[in-house]
Amino acid sequence: MGMEIPFDVANIPGPEMGEVAPPEVIGSYISSAKRPLLVVGSEILRDDFFLETAIEMGRKGVPIAATGHSIRGFVEKEYTENVSYYNLHELTNCLRDPGWKGLDGKGNYDFVIFFGVVYYYASQMLSCIKNFAIDPLIRAVSIDRYYHPQARMSFMNISPEMEEGYKDMLNRLVSSIK
Amino acid sequence: MEELKKGGIFNISDLRNVRISIGEIVEEEEEWEPMGPHPMPGIATLRNWDFMLLNRYKPFYAPLCDMCCLCTYGKCDLTGNKKGACGIRMDAQHGRIVLLACLVGCSAHCGHGRHMLHEMIKKFGGDVPIDFGPEVDVEAPLTRLVCGIKPKTIRDYEKVFDYIEEQIVQLADALHTGQEGSYRDFESKALHMGMLDSLGKEAADIIQIASYGMPTSYEGGGPDVPLVDVGIGTIDTTKPVVLVIGHNVPPAADIGDYLTENGLEDRVELAGICCTSIDTTRVYKKAKIAAALGRQLRVIRMGIADVVVVDEQCIRADILELCQRVHSPLIVTNDKAMHGLVDRTDDNPDKIVDDLVSGRAPGVVILDPEQVGEVAVKTVIQMDKKRKGLKLILSDEEFKYYVNDCIQCGNCTLACPNGLRIGEANQSATSGDIKPLAGLFDLCVGCGRCEQVCKKHIPIVDVITKAAYPQVKEEKGRMRIGRGPVWDSEIRDVGAPIVLGTIPGIIAPIGCGNYPNGTKDAWLIVKEFAERNYIVTLTGCMAIDAALWKDEEGKTVYEQHHGRFDAGGVLNIGSCVSNAHIHDAAIKVASIFAGRPLRGNYEEIADYILSRVGACGVAWGAMSQKAASIATGFNRLGIPAVVGPHGAKYRRAFLGRPDLKDDWKLIDATDGSEIYFEPGPQHLLVACETVEEALPMIAKLCFRPSDTDRGRSIKLTHYIDLSLKYLNAYPPDWHLFVRTATDLPIANKNELLKKLEDEHDWEIDWKMKRIKEGPIRGYDPSFNPTNLRRLIREKKK
Repeated sequence: MGMEIPFDVANIPGPEMGEVAPPEVIGSYISSAKRPLLVVGSEILRDDFFLETAIEMGRKGVPIAATGHSIRGFVEKEYTENVSYYNLHELTNCLRDPGWKGLDGKGNYDFVIFFGVVYYYASQMLSCIKNFAIDPLIRAVSIDRYYHPQARMSFMNISPEMEEGYKDMLNRLVSSIK
Repeated sequence: MEELKKGGIFNISDLRNVRISIGEIVEEEEEWEPMGPHPMPGIATLRNWDFMLLNRYKPFYAPLCDMCCLCTYGKCDLTGNKKGACGIRMDAQHGRIVLLACLVGCSAHCGHGRHMLHEMIKKFGGDVPIDFGPEVDVEAPLTRLVCGIKPKTIRDYEKVFDYIEEQIVQLADALHTGQEGSYRDFESKALHMGMLDSLGKEAADIIQIASYGMPTSYEGGGPDVPLVDVGIGTIDTTKPVVLVIGHNVPPAADIGDYLTENGLEDRVELAGICCTSIDTTRVYKKAKIAAALGRQLRVIRMGIADVVVVDEQCIRADILELCQRVHSPLIVTNDKAMHGLVDRTDDNPDKIVDDLVSGRAPGVVILDPEQVGEVAVKTVIQMDKKRKGLKLILSDEEFKYYVNDCIQCGNCTLACPNGLRIGEANQSATSGDIKPLAGLFDLCVGCGRCEQVCKKHIPIVDVITKAAYPQVKEEKGRMRIGRGPVWDSEIRDVGAPIVLGTIPGIIAPIGCGNYPNGTKDAWLIVKEFAERNYIVTLTGCMAIDAALWKDEEGKTVYEQHHGRFDAGGVLNIGSCVSNAHIHDAAIKVASIFAGRPLRGNYEEIADYILSRVGACGVAWGAMSQKAASIATGFNRLGIPAVVGPHGAKYRRAFLGRPDLKDDWKLIDATDGSEIYFEPGPQHLLVACETVEEALPMIAKLCFRPSDTDRGRSIKLTHYIDLSLKYLNAYPPDWHLFVRTATDLPIANKNELLKKLEDEHDWEIDWKMKRIKEGPIRGYDPSFNPTNLRRLIREKKK
């Protein structure tokens, strides 16, 4: 673990900034969460691999909120098992409410994973969760190729030439989800 | 004195040691409408209305910064909704920041308006009549609504600005440490500020329309306003080019006048950026629009301008440095943005010209618009000759050198608001493929932050411009000039179809160019809704950017669609201040079509609009504080807005929750009964991540409880169709908007009934093709929705 420069370099929120964590650590948190939720955005459509990664997590029992227009990809892949379209603003607004019934009607979530959401929009929503989803606490993490200081845990910034390395990290993350 | 006390008649010449002072002389006012309950509302007057909105559309905060640094107790860490040293919590602090943003935005519009009023009274006198022609009787809906004033001349706006300015000061006072502590009250104040912002915009535009004779409903106005050239490629750089930037048109208008008076219209190009360019085309026929805000840095760096003239708002803070870099003299014309230059207003114009042309002065302040006209034109003619040999576009060799010099460190990407992968594009260019670099030109928001962090000092903006230069030279569009007010006669024609829903909505793309994915999104939004027979009313930079793209026939959206305020129309209403006419159109639907009293009656009109007028603002590239106050003004009037993903950085949204049933209760004014209703509109302010997501969201926010079944069917058709087209899926909440089987789109009624039965457990009578059980409420054509108990009709005894 260590500190990293925010992907949007001036995005320094304050005293509480997320830690850089390896995929296996995030994977173990997902595994131990009672109610995890994968929030995916439009950037997962840039490569089939990312869509498949999300689907793989869905198959491992992590429900998926497809934000932006990412739902397109799931429909095209005919994976609709535990995926629901949600606008990210709407979704985050619900997440901050302990009384929200969740996508399945069984209640709110305790661990939220952001994946493929446009950086600055994701950052704002992670900020809302960090500041207002506090009782009970929701932990929000990012598994994007950006360092997200507003998340509890995040990957580091990953340059385009490290794309294969990033994909390997995602594979390790998925493998570590029990 | 006894007689004085008794109020009797006295003789002035008999009085000793008495001072008589005469205050304002109030002329007997024409009895045009009884005064409503809330003329010139104060901070607390409309608080109940605001709280009704805030109960349904609860403020959502996403802090951009977790600290408060506004007083010496701080910095205070508010993370996790903690309290600062003064006792303020994170949520209230963010309500405070939103109010501050609205204060800044509102002050910009109202400061502009007041300045315009001073200038126009000085130039034309205060008796300029407000007469917008035979089709516009309700000339100033917001002024009538908020102030209870029917303005006859521009001088009448003195009272309006007196009111606005006092309110602004009182609201600014609330920002001080140790004042307001409730986020809801901060938001009520922000909504009040938003309303003042809309009023100030209307005032500013009405004053300039009346004074300059901008298009109205006289011949050649309204739907018949002419088209004008838009785009960098339309500027004839073989001629001297004056480039005007900003929002406050008098200096640009006087440049146009000087050109006309001196027969120089065909010798000199007058082009503009941002709203000043739109307003210049309303007063000077030969003016061109070079670009919207997003291209400002690049247009200047390309060296197109031989002289740059700026007025106010959205001007780059480094404008002088930029102009010096390309040897363009700078003339600043407004005391709000003087950029450290010497005020030469009282100097001999020829001496100023000489100093600018010789380079002794890189720029000057001239606060007299007429003098700006003379100096700018005389300077540009000389500067054109002087600048002829300048090569400001990179040579092929320079381009090659720079792209090869890039070390792929990624600093530019971390500095870029859109996170553009500039290094990757440079790498492609080294191997001969410049397409990725050229493609960045439109995606770039034109901030220049990338260059500051480049370890190799590569002029990245110039490199991208060089790659895109062939396409930039062909950037040639057409748009209608700003038409100003929507006509009363147009409202009479479309009032019923808007309220009934058969015209599915009024879509208002407005605001700045901080787009997530380039200007083409602006075009797509306009095209998609105009083709679906919505009314599309644009203002500001989005009106310009939408004109840069063409269909297969080579036509822009303005050429493809008519300019009437009617189904399928694409209207350029005008500059930022002109977007008050979009508020006005909604207000006129309530007053002209529905006959609701207007004067001093804000709450009732906003209630009508919220429940019946399917309008939605779209600020896809919202950037400024003005955009914040504009959207907040729309919201108080009952009009929702969708922003792009950068809009999440405004920190606050107003979001409804359809799953909270009790948030969605309306009163039937006919009998006072309370009705649960479908979430229409679901939000007042929401961000979407991509344009594909925004298109169905915009359609969704046009649902209103008053829709007839036919209107609802049309709105549902578009909502479902846009969702299928762009998300490849049915919207998960479409069923919430179904009240009866006749609400369903006819073409796939059976399929939808089946979905309601299978996916939502609704009970369907298949024999009659009717819904037996399931909807939130049934369809009742006599439903008379209101949020205000005082509007319940008294039962006849």
